[in-house]
Amino acid sequence: MTDSSGEILQSMAQAVIDGEAERVRELARRALEQGIEPMRAINEGLIPGISEVGRRFERKEYFLPELMMAADAMKKGMEVLEAALTAGGGKRESQGTVVLGTVKGDIHDIGKSIVGTLLSAHGFNVIDLGVDVSADRFIENIVNNNADVLGMSALLPTTMPYMKRVVDELVSRGLRQRVKVIVGGAPVTPEYARQIGADAYGDDAISAVHVVQQLLGLAN
Amino acid sequence: MPRRGLRGGLLKFIRPDDLEQIRFAVLEVLSEVGILMEYRPALELLADHGAKVDWKTSVVRLPEGLVQRALVTAPSRFTLYGKTPEYDVKVDLDRVYTIGGSCALSVLDLDGQHRLAVRQDLVDLTRLLEEMPHLDIMHQIVVPSDVPELGYELVNFATCYSISKRNYYSQAQSAESVRDQIRMAAVYQGSEEAVRDRPTFSEVVCMVSPCKHEKQNSEVLMESARHGIPLYIEVDSLCGATTPAPIAGTLVEEGATVIAGVVLAQLVNPGTPCIFSIASGILDMANGAYSGAAPETALIHAGTAQVAHRFGLPYQGGTGIDAKLPDAQAGYERALQVLTNILAGTNFVHLSYGMMEQMLLASYEQVVIDEEIMGAAFRIAQGFDVNDYTLSVDMLARVGALGKHFLTQRETRDFYRKDRWQPTITNRDPWDTWQAAGGKDMRQYANERARAILAEEKPWAVDQEQAAEIERLCQEGVRKAQERRQAM
Repeated sequence: MTDSSGEILQSMAQAVIDGEAERVRELARRALEQGIEPMRAINEGLIPGISEVGRRFERKEYFLPELMMAADAMKKGMEVLEAALTAGGGKRESQGTVVLGTVKGDIHDIGKSIVGTLLSAHGFNVIDLGVDVSADRFIENIVNNNADVLGMSALLPTTMPYMKRVVDELVSRGLRQRVKVIVGGAPVTPEYARQIGADAYGDDAISAVHVVQQLLGLAN
Repeated sequence: MPRRGLRGGLLKFIRPDDLEQIRFAVLEVLSEVGILMEYRPALELLADHGAKVDWKTSVVRLPEGLVQRALVTAPSRFTLYGKTPEYDVKVDLDRVYTIGGSCALSVLDLDGQHRLAVRQDLVDLTRLLEEMPHLDIMHQIVVPSDVPELGYELVNFATCYSISKRNYYSQAQSAESVRDQIRMAAVYQGSEEAVRDRPTFSEVVCMVSPCKHEKQNSEVLMESARHGIPLYIEVDSLCGATTPAPIAGTLVEEGATVIAGVVLAQLVNPGTPCIFSIASGILDMANGAYSGAAPETALIHAGTAQVAHRFGLPYQGGTGIDAKLPDAQAGYERALQVLTNILAGTNFVHLSYGMMEQMLLASYEQVVIDEEIMGAAFRIAQGFDVNDYTLSVDMLARVGALGKHFLTQRETRDFYRKDRWQPTITNRDPWDTWQAAGGKDMRQYANERARAILAEEKPWAVDQEQAAEIERLCQEGVRKAQERRQAM
């Protein structure tokens, strides 16, 4: 087969748009076989794909399922290309490390998982601690992974105050300056985020990505 | 005279043979897929009775025989007791009742302010709800921001239970909390034994889709069943996110998750009243929000009525609406939702008074507007009779052939009073008359009505001495809950 590199990259973008994870992975492998630089495959294949998905989502042509499937496909391609980058002695600049979780007492998973998927698709290293996460576990993971951002979620009015407890704990352990804190979840408001001393509030998964980019000075 | 609701169930979306397929699918999920249960004593009890437990993953599979035995002991009719007999609710699979609530964080008050709810709002909204004729069961409509997070349900219990004569729909964060609530109810009922005999409150436990029973919920479920406290076993699925996108698949997941709870309750105490409950909605694919008022949500709720009844269990459906203001959106959302549920035979239409903005907001005005919508919807569900009297051939012979009208006929006068629903804040005047009376819209009428109700001080359901004792027990319970947390 003699695909020109341009065609492969275009197909890769299209496969991300279509949310075809296996096809993206296969195209990423083929790109490498054809001698395309991994960095170029990311920048000219995966990223134009996910950017187009974002535009379609904003125009309400695409909805959450398409968005999530595209993000998954992007991640699959990324795994292949990043492995090649590392093998070649290079490294893709990570956008930053985000520790994510639903706070203690709260077992609601879905919103936080959507945020995690979209953040990884945008190049962040995401450490998703799951649900019912204690302050100690959050902090242990922030320290061990040298995280840039802590993202906390709560869906219950009764568990929301735990987010403040985590922030207070960060302050008392002298770690508050090391990490940006973003909070979200149905009952959480921007006012509440301010009250408990968080840096930002994410209204939904897409805005959470924008907010994290802004917090880290990556927004363009 | 106890309350005997209207019969619903005229509206059916599922054909009988399709309903059997849903039932088989629920049984298949229970026996082959299983339910994740975090609470060890629940797993042990189920294993003792023949369930297959994977102790590593905490997934329990329930064979059909075990499920069937539980469904035999779970009653299809029972009474939810009010503080006085006229508030007793006679539950069966046909009759339709309503529940207020639940758990909003903010209020839209009568000055049009959007702000965090405080305990005074819980008092005022409960007093307002107590005056709504179509409300049958009382529930906390807000979670006040000025009460402690631990034990907040005890504060809500003390407040609502003391104000309302209706059966109280409660919730608990622990087994101790259930016992604290029995103690509080005993202040009114005379003894804990009286509470167990005729419980004036019930507990809701909310399971997590897909197919998960969290530790706290099993603990509360088992403790409630031990004392014979009726249970709303609820699943709040998010169609397309935590349950399959097809409505049929969502009904299957709901069925399996709820029935597993029913089995557990029946093993603890056979005969414990269990209400198959949902507060499900669809996930809005554009913004990721829960939508309680979507047409698909109404279909889920109507369909689940058939599933619950097929398993012989009374059913709670209904949910909040998505509008932020008592506006045209609020009106259409609530009307379609409530009417669909009532016609479908939802035995408890829940969350249908004042709950807006994905259950985050409680509006005083919307409570009053929803009572009006409820009245109209129940009237439609009541239908009309066809018999010799209503066919009116004799009257037609007497009047019609002479080209006269019916307004002066005795039958008209006698019949319309029973047959017609009289609106209270709906305006049917022509423009000029309406203008002359101030040209008010429905929200203004609702505002005036709510203010008038709240201005009138009515005695609470319990006397002052009892209220003080209930509050004392509540504060003691809250303090103990804090101590338990610290000891952990």
